[in-house]
Amino acid sequence: MPRNFFTLMRSSAPAATDVPAATRSGHGTPPPNWTAEAATGVHLDASLEAVRHEITEEVDTALQLRDVSAFYGDFQAIDRMSMPIPRNRVTALIGPSGCGKSTLLRCCNRMNDLIPGARMDGEIEFEGRNLLDPNIDAVEVRRRIGMVFQKPNPFPKSIYENVAFGARINGYSGDMDRLVEDALRRAALWDEVRDELDKSGLALSGGQQQRLCIARAIAVQPEIILMDEPASALDPVATLKIEDLMRELAEEYTIVVVTHNMQQAGRVSDYTAFLLAGEERVGRLVEFGPTQDIFTNPLDQRTEDYITGRYG
Amino acid sequence: MTPMGMTAPSAQLTAFSPRVRFRRGVSVAFMVAALLAIAVSMIMLGALIVEIAVDGAARLFTDGAGVGREAGGGILTDLPTPAGMRWMTWALPVAILLPFVGPRLVNALAPGLPRIAERAMGVIVVAPVAIFVHILYVRFESAYYVEYARAVGIDGASGNIFQVLGEASGFQIVRLLVVGVLVPLAIVAAGWFGAQRMRRPSLIIPAIMIAGWVVYLFMDPWFLSSFPSRKPAEAGIFSAVTGTLYMMVITAAVAFPLGVGAALYLEEYARRNWFSRMIQVNISNLAGVPSIIYGLLGLQVFVRVLEFERSVLAGACTMALLVMPIIIVSAQEALRTVPPSMREAAYAVGATRWQMIRFHVLPYAFGGMLTGNILAMSRAIGETAPLIAIGALTFIAFLADSPTDDFTVLPIQIFNWVARPQAGFHEIAASAIIVLMVILLLMNAAAIIMRQRTRTDW
Ligand SMILES: Nc1ncnc2c1ncn2[C@@H]1O[C@H](COP(=O)(O)OP(=O)(O)OP(=O)(O)O)[C@@H](O)[C@H]1O
Ligand SMILES: [Mg+2]
Repeated sequence: MPRNFFTLMRSSAPAATDVPAATRSGHGTPPPNWTAEAATGVHLDASLEAVRHEITEEVDTALQLRDVSAFYGDFQAIDRMSMPIPRNRVTALIGPSGCGKSTLLRCCNRMNDLIPGARMDGEIEFEGRNLLDPNIDAVEVRRRIGMVFQKPNPFPKSIYENVAFGARINGYSGDMDRLVEDALRRAALWDEVRDELDKSGLALSGGQQQRLCIARAIAVQPEIILMDEPASALDPVATLKIEDLMRELAEEYTIVVVTHNMQQAGRVSDYTAFLLAGEERVGRLVEFGPTQDIFTNPLDQRTEDYITGRYG
Repeated sequence: MTPMGMTAPSAQLTAFSPRVRFRRGVSVAFMVAALLAIAVSMIMLGALIVEIAVDGAARLFTDGAGVGREAGGGILTDLPTPAGMRWMTWALPVAILLPFVGPRLVNALAPGLPRIAERAMGVIVVAPVAIFVHILYVRFESAYYVEYARAVGIDGASGNIFQVLGEASGFQIVRLLVVGVLVPLAIVAAGWFGAQRMRRPSLIIPAIMIAGWVVYLFMDPWFLSSFPSRKPAEAGIFSAVTGTLYMMVITAAVAFPLGVGAALYLEEYARRNWFSRMIQVNISNLAGVPSIIYGLLGLQVFVRVLEFERSVLAGACTMALLVMPIIIVSAQEALRTVPPSMREAAYAVGATRWQMIRFHVLPYAFGGMLTGNILAMSRAIGETAPLIAIGALTFIAFLADSPTDDFTVLPIQIFNWVARPQAGFHEIAASAIIVLMVILLLMNAAAIIMRQRTRTDW
């Protein structure tokens, strides 16, 4: 299935003009080799300066967050967060409960649009366009940026239908059986369910259900997969399976994962962002960088405290 | 020390402590209240049912000839019954059971059949039912036509189906198509799509159907198949039953889509603002309006302004208004049971709101909506006041041939018979009540089964 099978813009309105034409037309070709400073330093408010480690490898940006804020009614949940999400890497969002990890994640595919009273500010650049722009079709955003939830939530339908649904509603016309098999294989579930694709998705174990949800997300061929604590409801063995899966998926997809498990973040992620809610419960980005650096050499005292488990 | 006058802590652990005794006292009090309420209502209901059954059974189960009926008149009894037809009557219980038992047997004998074979099996086992319904109904229409021709004085009416079609009104053709063709096709489709689900059959449906068939064997079908008469022994409820069924079908066809649409709007699309709150409050208010008021509304709007006259259509539209609040509220409740996580899951793979509703919310909530609809229908089926207000007739000697025809319904027929002085009419009123109750019970059973089905399916 061609990647640009679908159009991102709802209308044929001209794309945001502040984006260089090269980036806009060159589908999926963000500027080569950026560095943290070049990519994020521009818009930053001095008072919100987060610690940014230098990114040494050459890597593309899948998403570029610039001053992203999110509100629920009058309450501001996250405040002007700026960071890159590197392509084909696993980025972990860590931080204590209530610091806005889920909120940030849900901003990235406009899932927060669905909450009455929720509002977003700032800019999330994706293929040269600002995802938070009201002219952007949120439905198409969600197809290109998939999501896996904390609690496995397969549809109360057959395993096959669970996987096929997304592709079908998006007008996929190829060989559905192969697509389903492929997605289930990549989610490391095929061998367990190959003989019972008619079985209800709810009849699987929790770990299998979560892998089914991952297969469902893969089947629409997104570019980015957002995962909100995907293993927190699972036992250690199932958790390991999901972690292995994330590593494998990172070869083809960009993955953003929220986790409360430091070991998991260390094992699975290439980059880590540490978020923290200060007074008034407003979440801010504290530190961002390669996971190696963050875990071995945190520059902010609060990051160190959190990683070593000294935080509340 | 025992604070606040309680017994010593160790005493509190025993089953005789005042706290435990108080709790038991409370539960006993509730139990007594419940038993009282149940006893009173059961005894009264039981007495009522026994009285009606004793009165009504005489007319329902004894041969009409025994109470002095003149020969002829009923339609079903006049059906020509060639040998094949009689054989099919006996095959009916088998045909009812097969769709439920057959696939299970097949599955036990030859497990792991491919899906297509399983489905073919489903079709094969339900086919007899479909054919039976088709033949029986076409024969009925022919017999009815012959009867009609005799009454109106048309010569040479043989009841040949082409002759019937040639003479039929548009409504009759629709009736023939729906009952004689679509219903059998739907049964076949049920076999095709249901083959797999039937592995786990609910035996309630065939049990009810077979019980009904057994009762029918012992019944005098004459009462069901003849029109009202001045003589109680010859009076039947044919026009009342068909009138009720026509009205229910049209009522459901009007009220269900509108009600579900309104519920979808209120639950899924409307912003939570003063406008939607006002609608919501008013729907609840409408549910409390006395039904006679709906009758007066229907009289003015449907009978007079829209000039539907005293027709099935006017009655059905009035009933649709009456039950709409029930349907809306129950559909809303069904929609609210859809887990938010399921909605999010659909959105997360790029579904639009309508796709999310169409493929996930509606299938999930449909059982609940259908249940609400059936309960609303069973409310409508017993309503008399609004129909009297719009002027439904009580003496109808022919079937409604179009939605604009005069009609009567069971409760009105019952009301009319009860109001007469002769004891004979009181008896057949009781018989009609039994029929009405059976229809009601069947509808409620269907609602319960559907609710359970949707629950186990997911
Ligand atoms: N639907 C909502 N309405 C109002 N406030 C919300 C809503 N969802 C989250 N919040 C608030 O936004 C803040 C951030 O919540 P969020 O769910 O993003 O935290 P989190 O970092 O994911 O926490 P956790 O680790 O416990 O999942 C919290 O203060 C929370 O109370
Ligand atoms: Mg969260």
